[in-house]
Amino acid sequence: MKKKAMWKVFYMEIRKSPGRFLSILFIVALGVAFFSGIRASEPDMRITGDAYFDSENLMDIKALSIYGVTEDDVNAFQDLEGVELAEGAYSTDFLHNTKDDQRVLHVMGAQEEMNRITVSEGRMPETVGECLVDDASDYQIGDQIVLTSGTEDPVSDTLRTDTLTVVGRGNTAAYVSFGRGSATIGTGSIYAFVVVPADTFELDTFTEVYLQVEGAKALTAFTDAYDDKIASVQTRVEDCAEERGVIRKAEIVQDAEEEIADAEQELADGKKEAKKELRKARKEIRDGEKELADAKKQIEDGREQIAEAKDTLNTQQEKLDESRKEYQDGKKVLEKGWKQYKKGKKKFEKARPEAEEQIEGGEAQLKALKDQIAEDEQTYDNLKKQLSQLENAIRSSQDSAAQKGGDSTAAGAANAAADLQNQLTQLKTAVSGMEQKLTMEKSAASKAEKELKAAKKELSDGEKTLSSTKKTLREQEKKLDSAKEQLTSGQKQIDDAWEELADKEKELSDGEKEIEENEEKLVDARKEYKKGKKDARKEIKDGEQEIADAKQELADLEDPKWYVYDRTTLIENSSFGENAERLGAIGKVFPVLFFLVAALISLTSMTRMVEEQRTSIGTMKALGYGQLAIASKYLGYAFLATLGGSVIGVLFGEKVFPYIIIYAYSILYPHLPQILVPYDWGYGFMASGIAIFCTMFATFFSCWRELGAQPSVLMRPPAPKNGRRVLLERVRILWNHLNFTWKSTIRNLMRYKKRFFMTIFGIGGCMALMLVGFGLKDSCYEIATLQYEEIQFYDASVYLDEDITDEERERLHQILGEENGVERYMDVEMQSLTLVNDAGIERETYECVFPSTPEETAHYVDFHDRKTGEKYTLSDNGVIISEKTAKLLNVREGDTVYIKDEDEGNKPVHIEHICENYLEHYMYMTPAYYESIYGEAPEYNTILFIMDEPETDSSAADMLSDVTGTGAGESEAASPEEQLENVGETLLKEDGVLNVSYMSDIEQQLDDMLRSLNLVIIVLIISAGMLAFVVLYNLNTVNIAERKRELATLKVLGFYDLEVAEYVYRENILLTFIGAALGCILGKFLHLFIIQTVEVDSAMFGRIIHGTSYLYSLLFTILFSVIINGMMYFKLRKIDMVESLKSVE
Amino acid sequence: MSGYVELKNVKKIYHMGEVDIEAAAGIDFEIEKGEFAVIVGPSGAGKTTVLNILGGMDTATEGEVLVDGQDIARYNRRRLTAYRRDDIGFVFQFYNLIPNLTALENVELALQICKDPMDAGEVLREVGLGDRMDNFPAQLSGGEQQRVSIARALAKNPKLLLCDEPTGALDYNTGKSILKLLQDTCREKGMTVVLITHNSAIAPMADRVIKIKNGRVSDMTVNEHPVSVETIEW
Repeated sequence: MKKKAMWKVFYMEIRKSPGRFLSILFIVALGVAFFSGIRASEPDMRITGDAYFDSENLMDIKALSIYGVTEDDVNAFQDLEGVELAEGAYSTDFLHNTKDDQRVLHVMGAQEEMNRITVSEGRMPETVGECLVDDASDYQIGDQIVLTSGTEDPVSDTLRTDTLTVVGRGNTAAYVSFGRGSATIGTGSIYAFVVVPADTFELDTFTEVYLQVEGAKALTAFTDAYDDKIASVQTRVEDCAEERGVIRKAEIVQDAEEEIADAEQELADGKKEAKKELRKARKEIRDGEKELADAKKQIEDGREQIAEAKDTLNTQQEKLDESRKEYQDGKKVLEKGWKQYKKGKKKFEKARPEAEEQIEGGEAQLKALKDQIAEDEQTYDNLKKQLSQLENAIRSSQDSAAQKGGDSTAAGAANAAADLQNQLTQLKTAVSGMEQKLTMEKSAASKAEKELKAAKKELSDGEKTLSSTKKTLREQEKKLDSAKEQLTSGQKQIDDAWEELADKEKELSDGEKEIEENEEKLVDARKEYKKGKKDARKEIKDGEQEIADAKQELADLEDPKWYVYDRTTLIENSSFGENAERLGAIGKVFPVLFFLVAALISLTSMTRMVEEQRTSIGTMKALGYGQLAIASKYLGYAFLATLGGSVIGVLFGEKVFPYIIIYAYSILYPHLPQILVPYDWGYGFMASGIAIFCTMFATFFSCWRELGAQPSVLMRPPAPKNGRRVLLERVRILWNHLNFTWKSTIRNLMRYKKRFFMTIFGIGGCMALMLVGFGLKDSCYEIATLQYEEIQFYDASVYLDEDITDEERERLHQILGEENGVERYMDVEMQSLTLVNDAGIERETYECVFPSTPEETAHYVDFHDRKTGEKYTLSDNGVIISEKTAKLLNVREGDTVYIKDEDEGNKPVHIEHICENYLEHYMYMTPAYYESIYGEAPEYNTILFIMDEPETDSSAADMLSDVTGTGAGESEAASPEEQLENVGETLLKEDGVLNVSYMSDIEQQLDDMLRSLNLVIIVLIISAGMLAFVVLYNLNTVNIAERKRELATLKVLGFYDLEVAEYVYRENILLTFIGAALGCILGKFLHLFIIQTVEVDSAMFGRIIHGTSYLYSLLFTILFSVIINGMMYFKLRKIDMVESLKSVE
Repeated sequence: MSGYVELKNVKKIYHMGEVDIEAAAGIDFEIEKGEFAVIVGPSGAGKTTVLNILGGMDTATEGEVLVDGQDIARYNRRRLTAYRRDDIGFVFQFYNLIPNLTALENVELALQICKDPMDAGEVLREVGLGDRMDNFPAQLSGGEQQRVSIARALAKNPKLLLCDEPTGALDYNTGKSILKLLQDTCREKGMTVVLITHNSAIAPMADRVIKIKNGRVSDMTVNEHPVSVETIEW
């Protein structure tokens, strides 16, 4: 029943004043969220990192030996107690020459168990010649990388192939951030890692061994538990490594002894051989001389023979020339014959058709003649026949006449006979004529025939003559041709003979030359022989010496040195832990402020509530409720609000803040697979507990006074608070000049002290928080600039080999002297040592010995006091040490620290001055002081150098450009960075240079790291803003509520809204400025405190907050104040004037 | 003739959810310049509503409120403030002094916003607090505080002095002396005083008595012969 009533009262109370309840709830939520959230960031970051490392099976311990790691070593480690797994692995640095630059690549053999590679693209390499590259590099899948060793040893000493094809890109937890470490080749800083199958390596021993510690996976990285666990195993590993070293040494000694024995044998053999060879050489020289003499004689003989041959040839040539002339004549005759023949032939050819025609004509005539003859013979025959007939006829007629004799017949017969006789005679003449004619014709025909025959004969004779002439000519030609052939072959023979002679002569002269050369050679050989003799003697001696040395060396041989590292050896791994630690440090300071404010807010809210409910309390009391019963209402109210706020705060804060912060860090650690933000109940309960305690205490405190009073007193209105005069009133002149609102304001401020301080504290806190936020940024960003622009001016340091020769050093000096862009350089001694103070606190420090004059030194390092700026110079009376070192060692100027030396006892060092320094620890001294400490002169193992300042003075250039009118025609010279790197590369190529480190690299690295702080700072600023908001809102609400009557009265009196607001604002403005002023002071100290907590041992952050940061913080604070006051204006407007008529409650 | 202060059918209706409450259901009255008017009525009759409306602290829902010829019922927020500032002097039941200003400063506070103020010290002397000027309210008795309050109201030289139960928190004698002060002020300075009280016994001292009941003027009488406070007993 009672409880029910109580709950109802709660409920009503909350409903009635949700603003109050919520403001407590909210500020508590904010405080708790901030506290538990920021606090939880530290473990969350570790958990996130640890989960990543575990998922990638990252090694816990890495061990390596200068002689490599054998299979036996790995097994020995594997058997150690506490070692879960031991795995040998390979890695070596190589160079890759690209078009533009030379890169150092860290080539690692893929491991089966540990240090898993996450493939982001492509696949893992499977066969020799394939590789996976760092996904932070610009290599793409399919690229070919040709490695060079960067040392005298070829790549093939280490790898089976020097050409790798990229088949994948990926990352590994071993490189948690962007840093890839340093190397002793190339530019000295590793560009990227490359993973190849382990069998790509062609080495007898592993280069290192990785260990995983039993049970370490279950522990969170970067925690003490983990570190302790690792440390214990590490010790064991170190012990084991020492044993292994002894064993290894024995092996090596044995091998070496064998080798020495072999060498001795070899030497002995060598001696014998050398003698033999020398003897042989001498014989050879003598033989050579003899041979030469013979050769010379031969050549002379040859020459004589050649001369003879030449004579013979000349006579033969003469003969040949004669024959040639003959041949030429014959040829001419032949040509003439040919010409004649051709002419005759032509003539014959021409005459032939005519002759043939004639012959044909003759033949035709002959034929015609013969025809005539035949005809005539016919005619003749006919005539003869007629004649015979006629004669017959006559005889017959005479016979007939005789017989018949008669006289008529006889007379007639006598007449006929007479006629016949006549005819006969006629015929007889015709026949004789015919006969004549025939004979004539026959003779003509035979003559013609004869002629024709003669013509034909002539023709065929001509032909015959021609062909016989041709034949003759042909024969002659043939004869000439064969003569010619004989001539040419003769000539050829002669020519060949000449050639042969020339060859012979050449051979001879060659032979002479050869002889000459051989003579020279012989001289050389003689010389060589002498030298060889000497060399051999020397070599033998050297060999003997070498063997002696080797023996000595073997005697001196130290145990193979083992290096055993934990994860801090991984690049930037420890920075991860340091960042988590830093977060923790921030978490220790900031949230406290929130809690203080939260407590104060609840105090005012609850006080106000109790005051408002005076009457109610009085009534309850009058009704007979006990004090505790009454108080429990308020306590319960506060408890509920706080609990609600705490739950919200924890649930929200522990998820959001760590997430944001770790997310911010993931800029630095891009491969974190996931951000783990488990609830850290410890911090949650802690924060809630503190919050509840604070509000409960505040509530109890505000109830207490009221509860003690009598009910009757409580039922009456409280006595008005006394107005009080303030100190300022005593200054009459000033006071009288103030108007009443100002007077009232000032008195008000003094009157409501709680509010006054609360507001000032709230605003001051807000201002301080923001100032710290901005200041942190200033400090962190500043150190790189301060360190490398105001303290250490050198651009790079060149680390030299321990046993660098004077010539090599001279060479380096020469390079630095000549190299383009190098302004100055200096040899220094620099080494890491441990300083220890009287109390036994130790600190790793770099010892630097500057052999130069103070003026020269000032070019490299500026020694000065941070606060006073007083300049220091090195003297022979003591050292200058860096500020942080001095602070950590708790020493001042004039004190003594000791250089730790376990062998010879600590060496005291007098601190003469302490200088400003932000990064690392340094102890500077002169060579003389060094000598007084160590009793020997320092060995300069480092060269510092400075590049020329880039032309910043533009006035000269301007003047020039004015004159020439060409404008800024800056030459396209290499940028200072490139120049610096060029110098570095040149130096690294030299013997005796171990490494070159550039200050700009370190500066860059630092900047990257600090950039991640940005988001943290933004979170801080937003939180500070929210804090300011809640505080101001709450206080103003309370203020207005408390003074409602007063403000209503003012309104009734006729104050305009703005004047009423001004009346309130004046106080707020004043409070804001007072608060801001306080915040500046508070912020400065808080900043200093946080900086000192946050900073790592190896660095000192800047102590200065920039003016702009003050300005920003102030502006933000004012902005928040203005926003709140703007909201208040409406609240003020809403105040009902009727309030003024009410009685004082 | 119309009066110096004149209310014509003034209504004030408060909307409380679904219910309308008529705090003033049509009030009509007038007060002449220089009169000492007393508005009496039982609790909840609407006196305070009238006072609020007259004092420019609240606006009437209906009707006219004429003060020196100006209808303040039509005034906006800002003009109302100006009206309060320049024309009204207000005396509260609980004095409402600014606790951390001295008596003098409390008076001066009011004066600094007013056009034609009187001298603060003088007014305080007039109300009989010449020697308590530098005291803080908490150091003064109730009567003295009320005198400061009156001085603060008077110093503004207002057209109208509104007094809300000025004797409500005071004992009998002190109350009387305060009333005397108010009456004297009215007589001597010709100040128009409107006094609101639930005590009808003091009615005889007024020039005009306005009785209010249930949000209406139930009776208004002009007293031709007001008596001095001293003679009244209650």
